[in-house]
This record gives sequence, C-alpha cells and structure tokens, in this order.
Amino acid sequence: MALRGPVGPRRLPDWMATTALLLPAYAWLTLAVFLPLLTMFVFSFLNKTPMGQAPVEFTLRHYRAFIDQPYLLGVAWNTLMMGVWTTLICAVLGFLAALALVRCSFGRSREMLLVLILLPFWTNGLVRVFSWTMVLRENGFLDSLWHLVGDGSVGFLYSRPAIILGLVHGYLPYMILTCYIALVTIDDAVIEAAQSLGARWWTVLGSILIPLALPGLISGAVLTFVPVIGSFMEPRILGGPVGMTLGTVIEDQFTQAFNWPLGASLSFTLLAVVLAIFATFSGVLRRGTAGAS
Amino acid sequence: MTRLGLVFLGMVLLFLYTPILVLMAMGFNASPLYELPFEFSTRWYSDLMGNESLLTAGFNSIVLALITSVLATAIGTLAALALSRRHFRGRSLLQLLLLPPIAIPWLITGTAMLIFFFWTGIGRGMHALVIGHVALAVPYVVLVVGTGLQTVRADLEEAAMSLGSTPIHAFFAITLPLLFPSILGAALFAFAVSLDQFVVSYFLSSPGYVTLPVQIYSAIRKGFTPEINAISTLLLLGSMTVILIFARFARPGAPK
Amino acid sequence: MANFTRRDTMRMLTAALAAGAAGSFPARAQGGKITVLNWQGYGTDEAWALEAFMAATGIEVVHDYFSSEAETLTKLRTNPGAYDVVLLNSARVSTAASEGLIAPADLSKVPNAANISPDLLANPNFSIDGQGYAVPWVWGMTSIAVREGIAKPASYKDLASEAYAGRFAMNDDAMIAVALGALTTGQDLNDPADMEAVKEALKALKPNVKMLWSSEDQWNKSFAAGEFDVSIFWSGGSVRSRRNANLPVDFVVPAEGAVVWVDGLAMAAGAPNPDGAAAFINWMIDPAFYVEWATKVGAPASANAQALAGLPADDLSAQVHKAEFMVSKNVMSAMPDERREAFNAAWQEVKAFYAE
Repeated sequence: MALRGPVGPRRLPDWMATTALLLPAYAWLTLAVFLPLLTMFVFSFLNKTPMGQAPVEFTLRHYRAFIDQPYLLGVAWNTLMMGVWTTLICAVLGFLAALALVRCSFGRSREMLLVLILLPFWTNGLVRVFSWTMVLRENGFLDSLWHLVGDGSVGFLYSRPAIILGLVHGYLPYMILTCYIALVTIDDAVIEAAQSLGARWWTVLGSILIPLALPGLISGAVLTFVPVIGSFMEPRILGGPVGMTLGTVIEDQFTQAFNWPLGASLSFTLLAVVLAIFATFSGVLRRGTAGAS
Repeated sequence: MTRLGLVFLGMVLLFLYTPILVLMAMGFNASPLYELPFEFSTRWYSDLMGNESLLTAGFNSIVLALITSVLATAIGTLAALALSRRHFRGRSLLQLLLLPPIAIPWLITGTAMLIFFFWTGIGRGMHALVIGHVALAVPYVVLVVGTGLQTVRADLEEAAMSLGSTPIHAFFAITLPLLFPSILGAALFAFAVSLDQFVVSYFLSSPGYVTLPVQIYSAIRKGFTPEINAISTLLLLGSMTVILIFARFARPGAPK
Repeated sequence: MANFTRRDTMRMLTAALAAGAAGSFPARAQGGKITVLNWQGYGTDEAWALEAFMAATGIEVVHDYFSSEAETLTKLRTNPGAYDVVLLNSARVSTAASEGLIAPADLSKVPNAANISPDLLANPNFSIDGQGYAVPWVWGMTSIAVREGIAKPASYKDLASEAYAGRFAMNDDAMIAVALGALTTGQDLNDPADMEAVKEALKALKPNVKMLWSSEDQWNKSFAAGEFDVSIFWSGGSVRSRRNANLPVDFVVPAEGAVVWVDGLAMAAGAPNPDGAAAFINWMIDPAFYVEWATKVGAPASANAQALAGLPADDLSAQVHKAEFMVSKNVMSAMPDERREAFNAAWQEVKAFYAE
C-alpha cells in the first residue's frame, strides 16, 4: 500500500501503522465471513447443492433466474420499493428525532432519552414483530383504541404498510443514533450566528443542519437499506400473502427447497445491486464526507 | 420550539415502545396463545423460574453478547481510525468490503460459516459463535465509530502532535475522549446485534451450547409461550438498570 | 456450569423414583447417552418419556433440533458421528441412505417392529434394494381444518368458494401446495403431469388467502385470534390444538383424500451408541409410549398396529386418523431433484401472484 498520509513525528512507518490498525478487523472478517462467502460464491455456479455424493457440474443457470422466472422481477421491484420507503421514512423521522435530542434536551435527560431509544434492540426481534401482529390485527390493540372513537376496523395486518411499519420500527434507532452522533458536535453559536444574520429556519436546516448530519444520514441509510432488502422475517410475519420478497425467496431456497446454488446466486445478485446503488451514490457520499470535515 | 421537539420525541418513543409494552403486558396474560381479553397471571414468570433451558440460554446469550461487544468494539475502532484518518490506496475497496456481512442475508452467511467451519475443523459451539458474532458486529462498529470520527476534528490531533506528543498519546489525550460517545454507542450496538442474532447462532450453536434466540427459534414448531415475554422483560429491565447505573457514574464527554 | 450439575442431579433423582415405579419395564442397564435429531416437541423429547426411558435403560437422551427437513440432511452431513437417532420423512430416506448418512435398520434389535403394519414396513420409500433404512414410526395427514360452525368444504375445489373470502390460511410449503393442487385437479400428487393446471388451481385461491403459515405455533396463535376459519393443516396438529389449546377446530378430509406422510426413525451412520439408538427406537414405537403420547399430548397415527389398537375408540387422535385415509397413492414419496425444483418454482410463482 502506497501512502500519501500527512507527515508527522511518528515512530512507525505509516504503512505499518495503517496495517496494524486494519489487520485485526480484516483478518477476522476474512476468516469468519469472506472465506465462507467465497465458498458460497463457488457454490452459486454449481448445478445442485454439493453435499450429496452425486457429481456436480458448473453452470450459469442460477444467474438466469430473473430471465427464466420473470415474476421474480416484480418481486425484486417490490423489495426495492420496500427498502426505499423504509429508508426514507427512517431518514426523516431519525433526523428530526436526533435534531430534537440535540436541540431540546441536555445532560442527563438527553442520555436517558438516548438509552430509551436504543433499548428496544435489547428484545428478541421475533417476539417484537409478533407483538406488532397483536397491535395491527382486526380486533387487536389498535382497533381497541379506535373503537373508543369510531366503528369498524383500522387494523392493517397482512399488507405492505404493515411490513414497512415493522421495518421502520426495527431500523429507526440505527438512524437516530448515527444522526445524533453527527449532529451532537454542532456548535450552537453557528446556528445563532446564522439566525442573527437573518437566516430563516429552512436556510438553517438546508445549509447548516442537513449538511452536518449528512455523514450520519448516509451511514444510517446504509445500515437500514442494506439489511431491509434482504429481510425475510418481518415480511413473512406482517405481510401474509403479500409478504413475498427477495429475502423470503432466498430463505426458501435454503430451508425448504435445499437449492443452495440458487439461493446463493440470488443473494450475490442482491449484493451486486446494493453495490451498484452505492457506487451511484458515492459522489453524494464523498460530498457528505467533505461537508463534515 | 423546544416543546415541539420534545413532543415529537415523545411520539417517536411511543412508536418505539408500542410493541415493547405489548410484549411486557402479554407476559402477564394467562393465555398461552396470547389470546385476548387480557387476564392477569404471573404464571409465566413462575414457569420461567423452573425453565432451566431457557434461563441457561438467556445466560449464554448475555455472556456471548458481552464478549462480542468488547472484541468487536476494540478491533472495529482500530479499523475505523485507519479508514477515516489515513489515506492509502485501496481504502474505498476496504470500506466496500464492510457491506457483504450486512448485505448478504444472515441465513446465507450462517450456512456458509457452517460449511466452512466444518471443513476447517473449527466446528460448532461457543468459540464458533464468538467468531461469527464478532464478524457480524465489526462492520456496524466501523460505521458508527467512523461517523463519530468525521465530526472529531483531525486538526486537534495534528495540533497536539505538532506540539510534540506521539500519535498514541494524542489519541488517548484528544481523540478517545471526544470519540467516547461514539465508541459507547458502537459497543451498545454490537451488544444488541449479538443478543438478537438468531440465524447465524442457529447454525453455529452445538447441542450443548444454545443461545436465547436459538431456543426461541427452534421452539417455533412447538410454540413459544409468554415465558419468552417474561424473560425478555427481565432482560430489558436488567439492561436498563445496568445502563442507567453506567450512565450515572461514567459520563465522560457529557455535553454541557 | 452449576446449572448442568444441578439438572443432572435432578434427572438422576427423578430417574431413580421412576425406576421404582416402573418395575415392569425390561431393565437393560446399558447406561450412556444418545443424541436425537428431531423437530422440537415431536414426541421424542417428551420429558416423561425420557425419564421413563432413563429409568429403564440408564440411557440419557440429548436433543438437537432442526427447523426444516432439508436442514436435517445438512446437520447430518456436517456433524458426522454426532447423532444416534434421526427422524426422517419417508420422502427423504432414500436420499439420506444413498449418501451414507444413515445406517441400515437392524430390526432384530427392535422387537416392536414385529407389530408394524406390513404395508408400512414394506413401503418402498424406506428401503433401497430391499434393505430397510428407517423404522416407520407414525403417519399423518395434511388436509383441511375448519372452525366449528363454519360450513365444511366437501372438495378442495370448494376452498376457492366466495363463502371463504379472506378467511383461508394456506401452508407455506411447496411440496404440500403442489400436492394439494394436484389432488384438486385429479392428478398424481407426487408427479402431476399438468403443472399449469396445478398452478391455476392454487392461484384461484387468491381472494380467499388471508395468510400463509409455516409453523404450528403461528397457526395456533392466528387461529385463536380469529384471523381465519378454514385452513390447510396437519392432522396431529389439529388434535393438539383442540385438546391442549381448546381451539374449536375440526379436521376434515374431503373427497379427493388427504396428503399423507410417513415419518420414520433411523440410526445415523457412525452413531456413537448404536445399541442405545436401537433401544430408543424400540421405545418410541412401543404401544405404551404411543398411547400416552397420543392421549396426553396429541400425535399422528402410530405405525405400530398394536399401539393404534391400544387407543381408546373415542380418542381424538384415533378419530382423526381413520385407517381409510391411509391411501398408499397419496403418500408423499421420494422424488428426483429436478422435480423437487419444479415444485418449488411452481409454488414460488403462485406466491408471487398472491403478492401482486
């Protein structure tokens, strides 16, 4: 690795220090994730799961799944939309919540609030999603509240909005945390200065707060969008018949169909789509990084 | 403005806690099938006390999450320092390499780990779970700490170093205290990732060493009972207490 | 670790007590340990049965669980020498046997096998070239469960009727879904010639499908909450739901018949404790165990004719599992990988249609 780092009074050569910092994490990831995934990547070119005694052959067939089974395109589109909506809603709510945390709370009460926001993670995901079904179903908790004012049912279990709701619930704390970390260092004086110079609230928001929060918004979006489009538990439990996503298709290949090559090729296709999206937005990402430093 | 912000925060908390409150309430509902109307009972708590497999699994989960949290935070923070402070060729590639563990469904990562660990003789059990969980948590730590690092001004370190302090000393004197909230957030994150992880654990746990989510997940055919709600509630209240005590006594970098 | 010690002590105490009470069992003081691979809560891990088994033989039983049939084979492959006894659907036995994952069944060590109905014992799914690889344990059905007070469908075709609009729950399982479509359209459920007709029959259910369930637990909770009235369900599950959870559900087999499956117990290849495994399999098909399991908990039908005869006539398990439903052409059988793949693709397409 060639280096262009800043020159300072260092004892170790730069490249050695960089390597020493990176080595533990990437060695660990190599052993536990990359090598296993590489194995799986090889599997995705096999004609069948290579665990029997029957001979296996190499094939590209599984990467043609979207051509051979065109309805998968519709599933993929729905999955992508699910990811976009969840990320957007999380971004808006998460940014505002982080802003409120930074601007409207102080000291210990702020820490309390932050802890309260992160704590839902401490419960089992399956049980959390199941609890939502109890809220959303007909004659569930939501309906009990509704019946105080109206008739009929407002329950919307087994629908796309139900899936989005469950996913937003699961990933909102990530977004709040990353936005909070980005916003917490904002100097009040900057905002006051802008206001005293006559800036309206939308100017403050658009030219100070959002650019400052951008690194947080971006990491939050990565941490939300990426797992959401691979999710299968929330769609299955909250979506019912409309809960088919690429995640559930992939899960089926592993648990039911025992077609690992197809499951693997679908997930590597998914990964390729994710990387393509990030490559497209990397310009924004760089500008975001520049804006914060 | 302040009031509006607090009202909004209250609504967000209400949303976040709706299923948690339902979860807690149903731990006191008599019906094993979570049927309504609500009928108060402490049956599930007393059942839980006699359910050694669930308690052992819960204990295992906490220990595993603690180990994961410490290891992942340590090595993830080091990597984040290199990735956001140092300029070198291949940096973007290394950053992209953090995505597969998050992007690829855990089911596939888990299956892949199972096969790979089987082939290499690592096998299953607690050590395999530690390897797997830390790997899954590291990318989160790098992203969270990296976000924090972007807001800690590098020129402070440079200033310290130009005044003659070593990089290591500058790190401990300047960067670490400023970074502490991010590192703590990352550690809490890693803890949660491990505590809630069931797919990878499911493949890597051995018959003798099972975690709570695995216990719940394999119970889905037999049926999970409100004992799960009881143990979740206890876990939640327990961690809340620990965190609040922690927040009370160790508050470096507490703003204002 | 203290937990384990305490549990072991408890277990030995219980075993000692049970041994005093159960003098009639053939005591073969073998000792040791066996590991069983099965669904959780599917007979072999009933605490009372394991205590009695321990008391009689001194063998401790440890369990590992799987959550899908495909995973059973994965666990066997990646953990050679870890398991002694494994539960296998008859449709999966030949795959496991041809890969050398399970050992040939030595019926001389399983005296109760003498009472297994000849039809089942001779079932080609359990053997390769005349050599048996698993001991038939229980059989059961997948068909229709109906809430009390709701009109019972006389045919699978009725499931598409408007009367059940938004009140039907389907099992999210490709093999079962295609088999049902095949029965609906009068085809062979193991090899339907006209897959398009199967898909059409399943797609016709769309306006009625409220949810897709994948575990008995999920089924019970949703049924209890009144989410649906009519469903594809398991025979043994319906008995457990009615008896243990007091759910108002009846099991119905329409004119076309039910999808029938047979589960067998096999000994894993390289089992550390083969004698213990044989003893446990024998215990599991013993009438004494079965009658208690079926009447206390709820079970599919035993493969052991004597065990079935031992059930009280008014027992729910006996009433649901009528011998006339055990039609050999409806039994799920082994199938080539290509066909299994086609089944999966068909069900996936139908689900994508539901999700549109």
